[in-house]
Amino acid sequence: MKLIPALLSLVLAAVAASASAQVAPQVAKLKPADFPKEPIEFTVVYPAGGGMDLTGRLLAKYTEKVSGDKIMVNNRTGGAGMVGHAYLASQAKPDGYTVGVVANLLFGDAMLRAQGKWSYTDLEPIAYINSDPLTWVASTEGAYKGMTAKQIIQIAKDKPGTVRIAVVPGSMWEYLVEQIEANTGAKFLRVPFQGGGPGVIALLGGNVDVAQGFYGEFRGHMEAGKLTPIAIASNERTPFLKSTPTFNEIYGSKDYVWNIFRFAAVPKGMPADRKAYLGAAIQAAMKAPELQAEYSKLGAYFDPQLTNSTNVAAEINAMAGREREFYVRTGRLK
Amino acid sequence: MGFTVILTPANLAFCLLGSVIGTLVGVLPGIGPLAALALLLPVTFQLSAVAGLAMLAAIFYGAMYGGSTTSILVNIPGEAASVVTTLDGHAMARQGRAGAALGMAAISSFVAGTLSLVALTFFSPLLANLAIRFGPPENFGLMVMGLVCTLYMISGSKVKGVLMMALGFLGAIIGMDIVNGTERFTLGTVNLTGGIEILSVVIGLFGVSEILVNCESITKNTMLAEKIRGLWPTVADWRASWKPMMRGSGLGFVFGLLPGGGPVTASFLSYAMEQRLAKDPSRFGKGAIEGVAGPEAANNAAVSGGMIPLMSLGIPGNAVTALLLGALVIQGVQPGPLFIAQRPDLFWGVVASMYVGNVFLLLLNLPLVGLWVQFLRVPYRVLFPLILLLSIVGTYSANKNVFDLWVMIGFGVFGYVLRKLMYDFSPYLIAFVLAPLLEQSLRQSLVMSPDGMLIFLQRPIAAALIVISLVLAVFVFRQRKSSIPEGDI
Repeated sequence: MKLIPALLSLVLAAVAASASAQVAPQVAKLKPADFPKEPIEFTVVYPAGGGMDLTGRLLAKYTEKVSGDKIMVNNRTGGAGMVGHAYLASQAKPDGYTVGVVANLLFGDAMLRAQGKWSYTDLEPIAYINSDPLTWVASTEGAYKGMTAKQIIQIAKDKPGTVRIAVVPGSMWEYLVEQIEANTGAKFLRVPFQGGGPGVIALLGGNVDVAQGFYGEFRGHMEAGKLTPIAIASNERTPFLKSTPTFNEIYGSKDYVWNIFRFAAVPKGMPADRKAYLGAAIQAAMKAPELQAEYSKLGAYFDPQLTNSTNVAAEINAMAGREREFYVRTGRLK
Repeated sequence: MGFTVILTPANLAFCLLGSVIGTLVGVLPGIGPLAALALLLPVTFQLSAVAGLAMLAAIFYGAMYGGSTTSILVNIPGEAASVVTTLDGHAMARQGRAGAALGMAAISSFVAGTLSLVALTFFSPLLANLAIRFGPPENFGLMVMGLVCTLYMISGSKVKGVLMMALGFLGAIIGMDIVNGTERFTLGTVNLTGGIEILSVVIGLFGVSEILVNCESITKNTMLAEKIRGLWPTVADWRASWKPMMRGSGLGFVFGLLPGGGPVTASFLSYAMEQRLAKDPSRFGKGAIEGVAGPEAANNAAVSGGMIPLMSLGIPGNAVTALLLGALVIQGVQPGPLFIAQRPDLFWGVVASMYVGNVFLLLLNLPLVGLWVQFLRVPYRVLFPLILLLSIVGTYSANKNVFDLWVMIGFGVFGYVLRKLMYDFSPYLIAFVLAPLLEQSLRQSLVMSPDGMLIFLQRPIAAALIVISLVLAVFVFRQRKSSIPEGDI
């Protein structure tokens, strides 16, 4: 049993080695004299093991490297993200020791479910992380084999309610279908799932005809030739799926943009020097090619508009504004 | 070929480390494999893919070994998949046979872990294709069968048991509706939008209520009423256990494989099956070793079964396998149909590590039996505050939400009242676990189906499962008529 302490020290040594890397000079320059004096918490509002959790843990690891600060990731979960979002917006102290690693799903929670108790403006974005555009995938077998998105949507218009599509109720999976239906007159049979992954599996099993998912969720099956991406809901084609058209290309529009985008945000009212420091540290971490490579492995995509932006907060708040317009237009929000 | 990958000192060391951590988190109530995996995930980024995954997987199945320990010793399950082990395992401990129960639990876990690995080794791609055939209607059939089987394991009054199942359903309704996303019975609090946390239910209902009941007799010094009789299972125990062990392995493996399954369901169904098949079902709940061997085999086999959809389809069946999936992806591996062909070293390395890890766990757990049994000598007034503390820490650490603690305490009081009124609340838990899947698959099926309910008869697998369930239900009904114990209800 003497092995165990030896092993533990081995693990700890590995962790220590990773933490004692070089501190980036542009970050060190901004470091406030009185901050940080204790570990910084990165709050992830979804459970351990999911995409958001991995994003947060990777970000923590590289932010530690560029800043030399100690960072711990904390999963504050419950209520499908609501508990953590409410915590960040209304309970966490704006002292720099709590940084939310969040996604735009925050906006839907704030606008549709927070009942005015808190708003997305209670959080201030400090750095953009990455995006995952929603992609339609179809099977390489069966009735819709080899068809384009436009052809399948046409069938859903000609024979309403016959094309089965996997959706996640009350979220962008459903909004995208709704938008397409409203603009084209098609009518899909929406089969509800809890998440994009289970929908992809249902597609493989022949239980739906179209699934909507993220690259990381269907890549393995695509490489095995079982299914194929047919359209993507992003501004432009992504580097992973160069031959997959965007919905905007297909319909000559600008409105079909539905993606998850992740960013770091802090509670409103934080001292300006700490906010600037944290923003610089996370943005410096995001520049590390290793971190970008790790995120690319997860299937994430870096939206150039946000990556190259000089005012991330304004961009992100503008996107929240567009989401709000959609809710008002569709009668979800007054 | 996997063994050549895993049999390096470093890889073996990480596999052993995982086994040790797994056993520990299994033993500690509330702190489950998920919390441990999440904490250690960043550490594995520095390791090679094989070492990292071998360690994480070992924590997962190691927890299945450790989970039975507190179930048997203090009637408090270490995690949800060990709930049924409390029924007969703890009864055995009260008869002074804790050693035999612990030993049999470890051996069953080992046998099932190894057997299911053999199945995984030879039939992985084949079985993955079977799992994918399970769409919503088939899952519905499976859930119905699970519920009918639960009827068998109701001890005492069937009316009380069915009432508990109904309450379990009601508890599971709380939260977000899966079809239209509206909130149900959340009382306007964000804490309930995601439903009630299962960990709080398990720890409250089984752990806190047990402590409350025991507070009444706190003057009685230790829980050991009788002298410890023998640390090892006897020949008679072996004879009684080997068949349940085999059946539990098979059942657990299949349930681990299927999307709606998992270790919790598998362990409950194994118990129900053993009770049904036993010559004298009345012994169950009073220290029948079959009631330990079957479910403990089932929950371990379900872990290996669950590795198949994970590795060959990229489908995580539960939160723990979701975390393993994340670990794989971070290592640059995309689990899916091509995984075995693209990274045979990794796939077979992990499989081989699981064989090795099971051996480690057996060697680790058997000598510990003697030590654990000594815990029974610790006075209640020392032991119970300690367990309560661990339960609180464990429940809080899962979500960092104080609300979960109130739920835990609420369920503790609820469980206390139920114990006083002689209700068996295992049916509550199984209904609580199955209900969301049952509802989801039913409603998905009906949305998909142009012919309404007929979809369940049009699909052969679904139809077969439902017919079997009906036949089983008829048996329960007849059994009930013929054998209502006197003075009951």
